[in-house]
Amino acid sequence: MAALKDVSFSVPERHIFGIIGPNGAGKSTLFGVISGAIRASQGRVRFRGSDVTRLRSDALVHFGIARTHHIVRPFRAMTVLENVLVAVHYGRQSAKADAKAQAISALERVQLAPKARMLASALSLGEQKRLEVARALATNPDLLLLDEVCGGLSGAETRAMLDLFQQIRASGTTILYVEHDMKAVMSVCDRIAVLDFGRKLAEGTPAEIQNDPAVIDAYLGSGMLGTNSIA
Amino acid sequence: MTAVDFLNLLIAAVLLAGIYAVMSVGMTVIYGVMKIVNLAHAGFMMLGAYFAYEFFERFHIDPLIGAALALPAFFLFGMAVHWLLIRWLPKSDQPTLSSLLLMFAFWLVLQNIGYLFWGNMDRSIFTPRTLTVLTLGPISISLLRLIVFFAAVLCVCALQLALSRSWYGRAMRALIQNPYAAQITGVDDERIARITFGLGTAFAGFAGALLAMLYSFSPDFGRPFLIRAFVIIVLGGLESVSGVAFGALVLALVETFSILYVPAGYQPAISFGLLVVVLLVFPKGIGGLLERKWRPA
Amino acid sequence: MKRLIASFQPLFAAGILLVVLLLPILGLTPNVIRILFITFVWITASLAWNLLGGVAGQVSFGFAVFYGLGAYAAALMINAGVNPALSFVGSAAVAALASFLIGIPTFRLRGPYFAIATIGVSEAVRVVMNNISAVGGAGGLRVTERGIFHQTEHYYSGLAIAVLAVCVSLLIERSKFGLALRAIRQDEDAAADIGINPFRCKLWIHAIAAALTGVAGGVFADYAAYIHPQGVFAFSTSVTILLMPVIGGIGTIWGAVLGAAVVTIVEEQLVAVFPQVHLLLYGLLLMLIVLLEPDGLVGLLRRMLRRMHVDPSSRGPDEALWGRGRLEGREL
Repeated sequence: MAALKDVSFSVPERHIFGIIGPNGAGKSTLFGVISGAIRASQGRVRFRGSDVTRLRSDALVHFGIARTHHIVRPFRAMTVLENVLVAVHYGRQSAKADAKAQAISALERVQLAPKARMLASALSLGEQKRLEVARALATNPDLLLLDEVCGGLSGAETRAMLDLFQQIRASGTTILYVEHDMKAVMSVCDRIAVLDFGRKLAEGTPAEIQNDPAVIDAYLGSGMLGTNSIA
Repeated sequence: MTAVDFLNLLIAAVLLAGIYAVMSVGMTVIYGVMKIVNLAHAGFMMLGAYFAYEFFERFHIDPLIGAALALPAFFLFGMAVHWLLIRWLPKSDQPTLSSLLLMFAFWLVLQNIGYLFWGNMDRSIFTPRTLTVLTLGPISISLLRLIVFFAAVLCVCALQLALSRSWYGRAMRALIQNPYAAQITGVDDERIARITFGLGTAFAGFAGALLAMLYSFSPDFGRPFLIRAFVIIVLGGLESVSGVAFGALVLALVETFSILYVPAGYQPAISFGLLVVVLLVFPKGIGGLLERKWRPA
Repeated sequence: MKRLIASFQPLFAAGILLVVLLLPILGLTPNVIRILFITFVWITASLAWNLLGGVAGQVSFGFAVFYGLGAYAAALMINAGVNPALSFVGSAAVAALASFLIGIPTFRLRGPYFAIATIGVSEAVRVVMNNISAVGGAGGLRVTERGIFHQTEHYYSGLAIAVLAVCVSLLIERSKFGLALRAIRQDEDAAADIGINPFRCKLWIHAIAAALTGVAGGVFADYAAYIHPQGVFAFSTSVTILLMPVIGGIGTIWGAVLGAAVVTIVEEQLVAVFPQVHLLLYGLLLMLIVLLEPDGLVGLLRRMLRRMHVDPSSRGPDEALWGRGRLEGREL
């Protein structure tokens, strides 16, 4: 049985590209294939002209592709700063000055700098999610793969996270954002692909997606579409 | 090598595979439910061997009956070990360092208790059956190995049946697949773990008693077999009884036929050599357990 | 108070070093010197194991392989007329080379699978060494004496390698490589997701640990003057090397040192009285530690200090010495 079938799309640079779909649509599988965690039987993943289909995740990082996890995986016995520092050391080298300054600036971007000396295990879930993003950012990626980073966050935390995405994009990093939470995706993404039963149902701007009959059909009665972006 | 030699070796390999399967299956079951790598398995096998030996020497009880008695005795023993030691370990759905070290420590204790009781002299169980050979034209089969093979296969099949049919088997499989959901539906995981550990221990003791009829043994008896069991598990995957049977067959074939090419002194290293070859040739593992099973993405 | 203890610690270490440097001059009995020498050898091996097992989280039951290979390499080189100090370097090289040969297949296994595979490694190597007649086979190998036996010379080589092991451990713990190893220990996949190549890091730390263990074996062979596969390659050697850091406190430098000292003294006293019981006691001790005090002796000490309102674990720079991660809940 194929979990994904004929799904094809391209992510323009400096965009926030969202992938949505109901449970079991194949979002996580797609994410796994792109991030090198799952081996696809067929198909290609290309990044700036290079074939990165079967690269391990550490090699992807050096290509400039970093990911987060749906379930947070901080290094619990390390401080927040150490978590990010190790990512600076082993991520893609940048021309910038010393590692610690880079690590702190990554923490500042997610507003975790004041907690730099705390153990990662002492953070709240929302903070751990931000740490996860900071760690991925610290590897200096051109493409950031985000897996349901808003799941389990409060409304305020979600808004802060979405603001952060805008800032990340503004600094030149492309984002591929897989999310279950429809509102979050609609409000922040420049382009969206909709998956259902392992196929791509539609692709377009949020407005186009909201009016796509196939998408409405798939979500009919779920009450998830047609609402305004959260403000 | 003539066709007859080949056939003789093939039969020997299949007979060996039966006993390898029965000694590995206990480890597999415990790992599946509890995610504990039971290094003390080797110690339980050693005790099983001495169990049959003592019954034979003291009361002249046939070692086959001794092996059958080992099943309930080691079942209770395993449950006691779980109650005394294992249930105090922090629970985890992944193997932990504490569980590995605890089982290793328990193995050390069992082994050295063995030394205290029986010394380091090699023992063996010798019955009239030991040297009986059935001949079928040019083919000869050791009667004892044939009996041991059938006892082993019978037990593994009974286990497979129990796992697929009984309430316990269903609860156990539910725990393997989704511990959380299983608990919600009322499966008492502590009790299942206790029974499972008893079952795994029973199989270790049984296998040890069977092996004692074929080989001489000392308190260090289980170690080479522990490594074999591990190689079998790598070959066959950790979760299914049929995988274990497959792994046991491959290892038995390689070991038996290597007699033709490898000097006898190097025989104990064969199983590890096979492991290295498997790891190099199939980096992702035949059973796919090497990387995938660790952390669900 | 905290700061006082913090600044006290390097002083404390320097004090110990000074005392052990001067000990042979104080006219101790040869037997005490011998026990101290063995302690140094074990400290080296214990710290080496701790680098792989405690820092990087890869539990190995196969360190006797490196210890034994180091011993054999040094013995053969000394017999060929090589300067002992140079032959110890040879021990390190041989052991490190072996670590790559072992690590390349076995590090494809994770956690407990790696641990069991290393049991197979030590078994296989011992079998092979038993059968190579060029190095004496099961009969063992005698190291030719060069001139008169100076116990203090051996004492100082033992001390030198123990200090070397402490320095290497400190350097690694405080480097970015050490940080990567800790990341691998906690979550190998997450480590890979930030650009760490876990396989390569594990190979390197395995090689460093093997080299240190090999040197320890070499220094021991030079002292013992006779080695045989059932001794240096024995499974119980692997067990001892693993037990020392675990008993002392896994993942910590003081723990590895303390564990080695305790194990040596216990072993020396027990083996004389009850030859077979020491492994039984190790087993019981290990069970108690796993179930009751997962941080080992260092954890016990730390708890006692805390009761005195001093908390060494809260001091940043000394984390490498005291460690922080508990055994409990450590995933492999």
